[in-house]
Amino acid sequence: MEMEENFFDAVVIGAGHAGCEAALALSRLGKSVCLTTINLDAIAFLACNPSIGGTAKGHLVCEIDALGGEMGKNADETAIQMRMLNRGKGPAVHSLRAQVDKLEYHARMKRILEEQPNLKIKQVEIAEILTKDNKIIGVRTTQNEIFKCNTVVVATGVYLQSKIIIGEFEKQIGPNGFARAEELSASIEKLGHNLRRFKTGTPARINGLSINFENLEKQDGENNIQSFSFEHGQFNHNISPCYVTYTNLKTHEIIRNNLDRAPLYSGRIKSTGPRYCPSIEDKVVRFPDRERHQIFLEPEALSTHEIYIQGVSTSLPVDVQKKMYHSIEGLENADIMRYAYAIEYDAIDSTTLKASLESKIISGLFFAGQINGTSGYEEAAAQGLIAGINASLKLDEKEPLILGREQSYIGVLIDDLVTKGTNEPYRMMTSRAEFRLILRQDNADERLTKIGKEIGLVSEEKFKKFEKKCEKLEKIRKKTSILLKIDEKLKNLLKKLNENIPTSSIKICDLIKRNNVNIFDIKNEYPDIFDGDSDVLLDIINTEIKYEGYIKQQNDEIEKLKAKENTKIPENIDYNNVKSLRIEAVQKLSKIKPETIGAASRISGVSPADISVLMIYIKALTKNGK
Amino acid sequence: MNETICALATPVGTGGISIIRISGEKSLEIAKQFFSCKNLDFENIKPRYLYYGNFNGKDFLDQVLCVYFKAPFSFTGEDVVEFQFHGGEYLASKILKEVLTKCRLSEPGEFTKRAFLNGKISLDEAQAVSDLIFAESDAEIKSANLLQKGFLNKKIKETQEQILNLLAEIEANLDYPDDFSENVLIDKSKKLAKDIKEKIEEILNNSANSKQIKNGINVAIVGKTNVGKSSLLNAILGENRAIVTDIEGTTRDVISERVLIDGYKVNFIDTAGIRESDDYVEKIGIKKSLEEIENADIILFVLDLSREIEKSELEVYEKIKNKPHIVVANKCDNKKNNLNFQKMIEISAKNDINIENLKKEIIKTIIYEKIDYSKIMLTNERQISILNNCLSLICEFLNKNLSLDLIAFEIKKIWKELGKITGDTEDEKIIDTIFSKFCLGK
Repeated sequence: MEMEENFFDAVVIGAGHAGCEAALALSRLGKSVCLTTINLDAIAFLACNPSIGGTAKGHLVCEIDALGGEMGKNADETAIQMRMLNRGKGPAVHSLRAQVDKLEYHARMKRILEEQPNLKIKQVEIAEILTKDNKIIGVRTTQNEIFKCNTVVVATGVYLQSKIIIGEFEKQIGPNGFARAEELSASIEKLGHNLRRFKTGTPARINGLSINFENLEKQDGENNIQSFSFEHGQFNHNISPCYVTYTNLKTHEIIRNNLDRAPLYSGRIKSTGPRYCPSIEDKVVRFPDRERHQIFLEPEALSTHEIYIQGVSTSLPVDVQKKMYHSIEGLENADIMRYAYAIEYDAIDSTTLKASLESKIISGLFFAGQINGTSGYEEAAAQGLIAGINASLKLDEKEPLILGREQSYIGVLIDDLVTKGTNEPYRMMTSRAEFRLILRQDNADERLTKIGKEIGLVSEEKFKKFEKKCEKLEKIRKKTSILLKIDEKLKNLLKKLNENIPTSSIKICDLIKRNNVNIFDIKNEYPDIFDGDSDVLLDIINTEIKYEGYIKQQNDEIEKLKAKENTKIPENIDYNNVKSLRIEAVQKLSKIKPETIGAASRISGVSPADISVLMIYIKALTKNGK
Repeated sequence: MNETICALATPVGTGGISIIRISGEKSLEIAKQFFSCKNLDFENIKPRYLYYGNFNGKDFLDQVLCVYFKAPFSFTGEDVVEFQFHGGEYLASKILKEVLTKCRLSEPGEFTKRAFLNGKISLDEAQAVSDLIFAESDAEIKSANLLQKGFLNKKIKETQEQILNLLAEIEANLDYPDDFSENVLIDKSKKLAKDIKEKIEEILNNSANSKQIKNGINVAIVGKTNVGKSSLLNAILGENRAIVTDIEGTTRDVISERVLIDGYKVNFIDTAGIRESDDYVEKIGIKKSLEEIENADIILFVLDLSREIEKSELEVYEKIKNKPHIVVANKCDNKKNNLNFQKMIEISAKNDINIENLKKEIIKTIIYEKIDYSKIMLTNERQISILNNCLSLICEFLNKNLSLDLIAFEIKKIWKELGKITGDTEDEKIIDTIFSKFCLGK
């Protein structure tokens, strides 16, 4: 199809982490896309940490990769060190975290976008989303240019009517000095999506040449580490170290003495900030007993000396900031290059969205990323990918892709957003995933690659690679049912591992199930059996076997959940007609309009008894053929 | 897929026959584990055919009838097995306890709910079930509110709180890796699990041994001969059990009757009239009565409004006034004088005046004066089964060497199980606790 100028299948507003994924997904699925941004230099900009991944976020990145998104690859290619967090705490919570070169990260993503067929990138500010009969027909820029389109993905991050705050100083501006979006908020509100103010913040950046690293603990990355992207295999990017330092009592005293000048406490900031990412003044006030707080010094990029001060985000005035940072070991003579600031921005109420991330009000309008009340690059990218996929499916008049809570962290994230909503910037955590033991990083590809293939984002080549991996895993699985004889060799091994000696021959997998045995113990003693099998794959099988009992329990839970998820609630249901439903439940259900019984049961304030009553009512409706 | 559930299908404590019903796909499998019968081969069990055989419990064996309803031809539309056996709570609770090791206790209205969802009953009936679900949960809330004042809920809540704090600490450690050490947490978890195990065992022991739960609350009816004690008992029971005559001292032995009032087991003990007597048989009776006063939980002190109060009656009153008691002024329809006691209620046993109010007063006295919340821990089978589940979860946990992610899983299961008593099972709680307790983030 020839592309008519100024007509697109989809317009993506915003080229941050959500917008990039959405635009790439749409164009890779063959749709014509216009990606707009206020500033091309802000594409995939890491406005806060120069890092990707971490607990639960690493899981998200692996899932994005399995589905055919870009973030994992971009992080792998621009990483300057990687570590697997939580090594000692069980495979379910192993989380990959990469320090990335922030300038390269932006540059590579911009290049990928530029090279992508079907995709145009424009530096414009969108003023209005145009609709007719509650359907998308286009967007209008502040310069009155019109782009016609059938779908819009709003991925505006923290740019809507944003305001930065440093002490008594306020400025109506976007992050990092970029311009903010002035007009779009009003348009979104006019379409029926109420806005609210959220807040987040970022610490100072310091010239690394002015930091005394001598007495600070150095933190290197790991060599030979599994990358985010399944296609990249093991990687070595141990290029640049981080350093650890701490606040001290003097730092805390400086903060306490100046609380009256802290916007958070003087009442200047009224919006809701995240509890999991508090500013330093918040930490000092809420945890007065702590004598110190940990700080990581992270390199921003290889081509600059700028250092990111993780752990000390603040909105204190600059004179206090100076004193405060200088009180920290290693930073005594630090040159602050960019001051820390807090930023306020408009976000929508995510419960006004369907599980596809499409608006419940306007057909063809999708929202993704921080505008939905989340925080974090990875959360944004995950939503961007799903919004992009679903906008494409919408254009094809197909059913949306809705990932289950039992299937992925992405499913948990979106389900939480659309059924529970959030009153603070939402961060993904492993504790939010009730099926955490199943949703591991190491099996993200097994969980999602097939889906990515069906959608059309996973290439034939990648899929073949994946199938090969599955075959290899299956072979190892078979090998673990080999029976080992109770001979001297095995007896010695078990003695060494402090395990009982079984009375008759025993399967390898039954040995691995024991407390003190793992697959590598067996491999060391019987090298022939697992000859040629990679450690990464052996590790996956080891986890599978060790977790077997738990996985079974979680699978039982999943079966129960599925039954509930499969029971759809009619869209036009009037909860006032459901006799014996409690008033609170009627109100909550009427507001959130859950799509399934499963979603209804997760709404706080809706009790199991309410759900029983609701199920009976729905059954009765279908029985009566209404 | 529906879980298999079971419950006692007949009212507690009454009736000559009790029935335990099991519904769900595992019903037959469960029956197979407990039931044996000469003529029965489970492979070819005949639906809707009554088998007579043995229920083989862990440490007991009893004769029962067993019947199998094959899905969909059953009350719930699922596979159903019913055991029928001699009435009496003791056996019922023993059998139920065994069956509960294989499936879970049904929620209020759950059998009927399943029946509806499987198209076995009509909409009207289903609406009744909706109401029932709420009526029952209302009742539960009421009793939960009551218990809130007491020790059980407090103790379980405390325990849950402890678990929650630990869980939050573990979760914070998993989600914010740089802040703490995992080994400390592993040790902490084991220690807490042991503590909780002891606590639960104590609660279960107390409940099992609680005289009031097992045997009911003893209410002694005390008074001079011929004030109408036996008539009062009859009025409460609604039937003629004790011999009632106008001759003094007809009731020579202690007569005890059990009644279920508002779910409380109450034993009414009709004592022989207290008076000096040379009659040997009666002497034994009176001695017994005095013992009964000693042993009673509550005393109904009966006086006769149709005559003057006697000095000896006041002496008896002195004996009982410091125990939980109600002064029952009988024969109010033939009132000749006014009495003035604290906690007095005027009735007529013969003409059934004010008997219902008396019953209410008795229950009030039980609730406010008699139930020792510090000792009586559990009042129903459901709570006992939940705590037993917790115990086995904890034991399982203590036997294993687990990584922190699995520890979190096990601990959360225990927390959720306890939540079935307190109603606290929302995952969001854990996350809230993480943020309120720990300093995290960039």
